[in-house]
Amino acid sequence: MENVELLESVRALLAEAFSLPKEQISPDLAFGGIQQWDSMGHMGVMLLLEERFGVPIDADLIAALTSVSAICEYLGKREGQS
Amino acid sequence: MNHEIEIKPAWAIPPFLIGEVQSKLAYVDENILAARLTADGETIGLRLRRPVEGPARQALEEKVQRVVQAMVQGAFKPKVQVLEDYSDRPVPYRGDPNAELLARREMFQEAAGILTVGPLVTRLIDFFERQFLALADSFGAAPYRFPTLIPARFLERVHYFRAFPHSLTFVTHLREDLDVIDDFAQHAACGEHGLDAPSESFAPIQTLLSPAVCYHLYFSLADRPLPGGSLAATAVGNCFRYESLNLTSLERMWNFTMREVIFVGPKDFVLQNRETGRQRMRAFFEQIGLAYHVESANDPFFIGEFKKQAAFQSAFQLKFEIRARLPFKDSTLAVGSYNYHQDFFGRALNITLPDGSPVHTGCIAFGLERMAYAFLAQYGLETADWPEIVRRAVA
Repeated sequence: MENVELLESVRALLAEAFSLPKEQISPDLAFGGIQQWDSMGHMGVMLLLEERFGVPIDADLIAALTSVSAICEYLGKREGQS
Repeated sequence: MNHEIEIKPAWAIPPFLIGEVQSKLAYVDENILAARLTADGETIGLRLRRPVEGPARQALEEKVQRVVQAMVQGAFKPKVQVLEDYSDRPVPYRGDPNAELLARREMFQEAAGILTVGPLVTRLIDFFERQFLALADSFGAAPYRFPTLIPARFLERVHYFRAFPHSLTFVTHLREDLDVIDDFAQHAACGEHGLDAPSESFAPIQTLLSPAVCYHLYFSLADRPLPGGSLAATAVGNCFRYESLNLTSLERMWNFTMREVIFVGPKDFVLQNRETGRQRMRAFFEQIGLAYHVESANDPFFIGEFKKQAAFQSAFQLKFEIRARLPFKDSTLAVGSYNYHQDFFGRALNITLPDGSPVHTGCIAFGLERMAYAFLAQYGLETADWPEIVRRAVA
């Protein structure tokens, strides 16, 4: 998946998790950056990542994937390895 | 006569969830007298007040399976981090302190989860209190006194109802109506199921008994910038958490006392003080010869919230419990905790730093009755067997 395509997928996923229009998910958005991305919102994102991208979520990933860019970077690397 | 049934969970319960699921089964149905999960997580045993058959049994089993599904399906395995381990510290006592506490009138149960303690336990608690106050002083923590009551709208604002509905304790009073008050005065009596009075006699609930100490501080700081940019505070208070069938002796009380040292300010200020507090308490626990360890933990969120909130706390290492050994039952008891809430309260209550960003908060909390109970479980009630520092202070 191209970088731009991946970014758009992640933005769409976060928009779905937070019930917001995709336009409100900026590429530099991070945990705590909007009201919806709180602890419960974050876990909602993790569950969606698991469901949509097959990411095996564990404690380390929950702590690491706290921004749009971190999620994109992780998914990009994962795709490169497959 | 008690009635027992067994239920096979429809989802395999992993070992790290057995205790959590078992404790939540208490809230499934009023007919449940006791709930136990086998160590392999494959069988749930329920002791019931009344027998259940047919559709009633099916409904009960469905509720049990709902709990299991909500907590197990998609659960994240917590990352357990042990920061200190002195659990093999030799202690002289292996007996069960409960019988002796009762026999000596050092513990008296008024009702489930409501206990009074006698002079020896009180002096022991006072000793621990002085140490915790010394810890607070070492941070220059300002002393506060907080009420036992807490407004419902405060707890709503920090989403407490969603996270811990099962443990809430509500407060009401008779409606301001002469007929209602007269009727109550003449007819109120305690029956088998509690106080016998029409429910419409009582005013709508606007107040609860406080479940924690530090919340009062955060509410007092709400909707304004934090004066000075950082704050260390301390207070002791009564806390109330209804734990149903899980209420046990001094281990798990409905009404207990907590001393907290509370930090409000920038992230580094809170985390650094939490860590410094832990180091200082380690030295104290060594002095009194307490067998314990400190490990990451999560709060007892209710079923719907548990999976996500517990995983989040674990991933970000927000809570560490001081778990003292209970030799007589080969288990441990949380006597205190080191907590970091990130900017949760800062955001929810609009408390800001000078740069406009939300404050971070954290607290070091000690359960006073539990602390005394764990000490007695390790050293017994004979003061001659106690470490000198404790014996001298309590004598």
